[in-house]
Amino acid sequence: MLDDVHAKFQVDARRRLWIVGGGLFGAFSILGGRLFYLQVMKGGEYRNLAEDNRISLQPISASRGRILDRNGQIMVDNRPDFRLAVIPELTGNFSDLLDRLQPILKLSQKQVDSIYNRVQRQRSFLPLQIKSHLTWQEVSRIETRIHTFPGVTIQVQAVRDYPQGVSAAHLLGYIGEVNDRDERRFPAIHYRSGDFVGKSGMERQFEVQLRGREGVREMEVNATGRQIRQLRKTPPRSGEDLKLTIDLGLQQVAEKALAGKVGSVVVIDPNNGQVLVMASQPSYDPNKFIRGFSSKEWNQIINDPDRPLGNKAIQGQYPPGSTFKIVVALAAMSEGKLDAKERYYCPGHIVREKHKFYCWKRKGHGQVGLVQALAQSCDVFFYKLAEKVGIDAIERQARRLGLGDTTKIGLNGEKAGLVPSRSWKRAMQGLVWYPGETLITAIGQGYLLTTPLQLANMIAAIANGGTVYRPSLVNLGADELPEVLQWGRINSSQMALLKKGLREVVHGYAGTAKRYQPESVKAAGKTGTSQVVRHKREDSGEIIKSDNDRYKDHALYVSYAPADPNSVPKLAISIVIEHGGHGSSAAAPIAKELIDYYFSRQNGGVGSNDNI
Amino acid sequence: MTISEKRGYLGLGGESSLGWGERFARFPWSLLAMLTILAAVGFVVLYSATGGGDNLPLLWRQMVRFSVGLFIMLALGVIGGEKIYRRYAYMFYGISLLLLMAVFFAGTMGMGARRWLSIGGFLLQPSELMKVALVLALARYSHDRAASMRFDSGGVAIPLLMIAVPAIFIMKQPDLGTAIMVISVGVTVMVVSGLSWTLILGSIVLIGASIPVAWNFLYDYQRQRVLTLFFPEQDPLGAGYHIIQSKIAIGSGGVFGKGFMVGSQSRLEFLPERHTDFIFSVLAEEWGFLGGMALLLLYGIIIIRTLIIASRASDRFGLLVGVGMTAFFAFQVLVNIGMVIGLLPVVGIPLPFISYGGSSMLTLMMAMGFLCHVSIYSKQHGRSV
Repeated sequence: MLDDVHAKFQVDARRRLWIVGGGLFGAFSILGGRLFYLQVMKGGEYRNLAEDNRISLQPISASRGRILDRNGQIMVDNRPDFRLAVIPELTGNFSDLLDRLQPILKLSQKQVDSIYNRVQRQRSFLPLQIKSHLTWQEVSRIETRIHTFPGVTIQVQAVRDYPQGVSAAHLLGYIGEVNDRDERRFPAIHYRSGDFVGKSGMERQFEVQLRGREGVREMEVNATGRQIRQLRKTPPRSGEDLKLTIDLGLQQVAEKALAGKVGSVVVIDPNNGQVLVMASQPSYDPNKFIRGFSSKEWNQIINDPDRPLGNKAIQGQYPPGSTFKIVVALAAMSEGKLDAKERYYCPGHIVREKHKFYCWKRKGHGQVGLVQALAQSCDVFFYKLAEKVGIDAIERQARRLGLGDTTKIGLNGEKAGLVPSRSWKRAMQGLVWYPGETLITAIGQGYLLTTPLQLANMIAAIANGGTVYRPSLVNLGADELPEVLQWGRINSSQMALLKKGLREVVHGYAGTAKRYQPESVKAAGKTGTSQVVRHKREDSGEIIKSDNDRYKDHALYVSYAPADPNSVPKLAISIVIEHGGHGSSAAAPIAKELIDYYFSRQNGGVGSNDNI
Repeated sequence: MTISEKRGYLGLGGESSLGWGERFARFPWSLLAMLTILAAVGFVVLYSATGGGDNLPLLWRQMVRFSVGLFIMLALGVIGGEKIYRRYAYMFYGISLLLLMAVFFAGTMGMGARRWLSIGGFLLQPSELMKVALVLALARYSHDRAASMRFDSGGVAIPLLMIAVPAIFIMKQPDLGTAIMVISVGVTVMVVSGLSWTLILGSIVLIGASIPVAWNFLYDYQRQRVLTLFFPEQDPLGAGYHIIQSKIAIGSGGVFGKGFMVGSQSRLEFLPERHTDFIFSVLAEEWGFLGGMALLLLYGIIIIRTLIIASRASDRFGLLVGVGMTAFFAFQVLVNIGMVIGLLPVVGIPLPFISYGGSSMLTLMMAMGFLCHVSIYSKQHGRSV
C-alpha cells in the first residue's frame, strides 16, 4: 500500500515537476523577449546613449589675439600664469602634503579652509587648484623638489597682459568673465561659464577676431569622469592679432603731457581718418581687471568724480568754445557771405535786445578780417558773421563736419554731441529760437556739445581740404580705402583763407597760441575755452570765483601740422583739458609737444615711423 | 523511530548500494560537461569584465573555485549510498540554521550587511548553505510523510516554519535577494510535493493582498530598489543609475554585439558590479542578442537536463531534491537576468557560474552534486544498466 501511495505520488510529482518546468520555460521566454526588445528593436537608440556616455568634450582654449600699435609694438599680450594644482588621489596624505607646501606658498587660513572644503566635494582624480599667480620664486622652489610633492602639478594658463599699463587703457578696454549680456551681444560665440570676454574698448569691439575658436579634445571617460584616452582632437584656432592705427610713441607723449590733468588727446591722420592717439586721463591699469581689484581700489575708481573708467575722447561732451568759429567761418563762406575783404568792427561788445554780448577782449579788436579774427579769436567778428549767416546755415555746416552725430568709430559708448537748431529747440523746449542764441552758438557756447574725437575729426577735415573721414582704429592694410562720411564742399581759395587764419593763431604776431609754436614744422590751430561757470552764474545770479578748480573753464585746442600751404598735413589734433583754464595756455603746449615729437622722430629722431 | 526502522516503514527495503565504478559510470557526465562549458563562457566574459589582462589573479581565483567546485560536485555525487543525504538532511539543515543565527549575533560586517561568519580565517556565508540545506530538509519532510499526508492544509505549518525561520534571519542580515530565493525554492519544493492547488491559488491571492503590508516592513533601500525598478529615470545618477547603465550596455550591444573586449559600457566603468551581479550586461553588450540568447539556451538545456534527473529519481526525496536544486539554479538565473534587463528589482543575486564570487559558485556546485547523486541512483538508470 505504501508503495502504491509512493508510486501515485511520483506520478503526481512528476506532473507537477513539468508544470514547474513549463513555468520556467515561460519565464525564460520573457527574458528572451526582453532581450529582443532591448537589443534588436531598441538597439540603435541605446547605441546612441552609449556613445554619449563615453565621450566627454573638453575645450582647448584658443590663445587670444594680441593688440599691436601701427608699428608692431605690443599693446596687449598674453602671459603665462602659473598655478599650483594637486591631484588628491596621488598625494598619499593630502593634509600632510599641504602642510609641507605651506612654507613655500604661505596660504592664508581662509584659502586653506577653502581647499579642504573643495577637496571633499571634488573627485579625487581631478586636479584641485591650490594657488594661482605663483611667483617665479615659488615655481622654482616647487619645481626643484617636485618629486617630494606627489600629486603636485604646476599648470600654466595664458592670462591677458597689458604691458603698457595705463597707456591707452580706455581704447584697449579690458576683459572679464562672461555674463548674460555678453552672451547676447555675441550670439555667434558659444561661451562657457568662466570664459573671458572683451568688456570694453577694442577688446570688446573685436571680440570675435581676437577670441579665435576654441579646440575640442574628445576624451573617452568612464562613469566617474576619469579619462581613459583621447579619441580625437580639433586644435584651437588662435585669435587674430589686431593691428591698430595707434602710434604708441605718440600716444605716450600725449599721456605724459596729460599726466596730472583731466582731459583727453585725440590725434588723427587727416589723410585717411586713422586715429594715431586716443588718450584719456585719468586712466586705470587694465591688468587690475585680470588680477582683481581690492574693494578699496574699486570704490576709489567708481567714486572718483573724474570717472577714470570713462573714455573722455568719445564720451566727454564739451561746448567747443572758440574752436567752433571754424564752423561759423566755413558756413559763411559756403553761403558766399565771407571773403578775404570782409571786415567787421569790434568795439569789445555788441548789444542785442538789451543784452550785452562781450568779446573776450573788452577793449575790442577794432577793424578785423577773418584771418585776424581767427588768430585773435575775436568774438564780435563772429557774432556779426553769425547774424549774417543765421543758425540754419551754421547748423548745416556743423553737421557737414561731423558734429552732432557719432563719428561711427565703432567704440562702445561714443556720444553724439549736440548741434542745436530751430527744430531741435522747438521739439525739446517748445520755444522758438532767439537771435541771441545764434550769437552764443557762434562762439561755441550755449547748447553746443562736442566730443574730443569729433573736434579732431573736424580739424582733420579742415587740414585735408574738407573731407570728413570715418575715423578708424584698425589698420586694415594699404588696399583698404578710408571711408568718407562727407566730401568737401568748400572751394580751395576759401579754404586757403581759413587755413591762413588758423596758421596765424600759431604763427601770427597776435595769435592766441603763438607762444607754443612747434620747432619742427609750421602748425595751424584754434584755441577754445568753454565756460563751465556760465550756467551757475546765471542760475544763482552771483559770480562764483574760479579759485575752485571745479568751476574753472575747460581748455580746448584743435590743431594740425604741417601747416604751410605747400605741405600735406600729417597730424590733426584735438586737446581738451577739463577745468584747464584758457585753451592757449593749458591745451596748446601739448599740441606743440606732440608735433615736435612726431616730426623730429620722422626726421631721424627717436624710433622708426610708419609710412602708411 | 530509528533510521533503519523508518526505512522499513517506508517499504523501501535495504539501501541499494553500487560499487565505485558503477557510481562513476552512472555519473551524469553530460551535466558536468555542460556546466564546464557554462563556466568557460563565464571565464571569457569575466576576462573582459575585469579589463582583460589587468586583473588576471581574479580570473585565476575564479578558475580555482570552479575546479574546487567540480571536485565537490563529483564528491557529493559519488560518495555514499542512496539514502545518505536523506539521513543527514535535518542535521545539515540544523547546522545551517545555527550558523545563520551565529551570523545574526556574531557575523562579520561587510558592505552594510552582516552576512559572513569568520571561521578559522575563512569567510563562510551560511545563507548560501541554507539554500541547499532547506531543499534537503523539505524533501526529507515530504518523503517521510508520503504515506500519511501531503503538504495540504494540515501539514503545511511545519514546512512553512522550516522556510520562514531561515528566511527571516537572512532578511535581517539584510539580504533580501537570498531571502526571496530561499522562500521561492522552498515553496517550489512544497508545490511539487503535492501542495493542494486551492492552497496555492489562495496563497497567491493572499500574497497579492499583503503586498501593501509587506511594503511597510521593507528597508528604505529595498523600497528604493523596487521604486527605481519601475521608474529608473527618476534618479538617473542615484538609485536608477545601475539599471539605466545596464540597459544601455545591453541595448547598445544590438544583434551581434560590440565584440569581445570592446564593450564601451563595461570598458569605461559605466557598468557597476560588472564582474559580479551585472556580468550579464557585459556579455550582452559584447556578444549581442545572439550571445545573450545562446547563454539563455545553455541555461535552458541544463535546466531540462536536471529536471529529467529529478523526474527519474528513484524516490520522493530524490525527486524533490532534484526539483529544489533545479529551482535554486533556475531562479538565480531568472532573478539575475531579470534584474539586469530591468524586469526585476536589483536584489544582488549573482548569475550562476558566470558571476565572480566564491560562495555562490560553491553552493551551486553542492546543489549540482546532490543532483548528480540523485541521478546516479535514479530508477531508469538502474533499469537500463
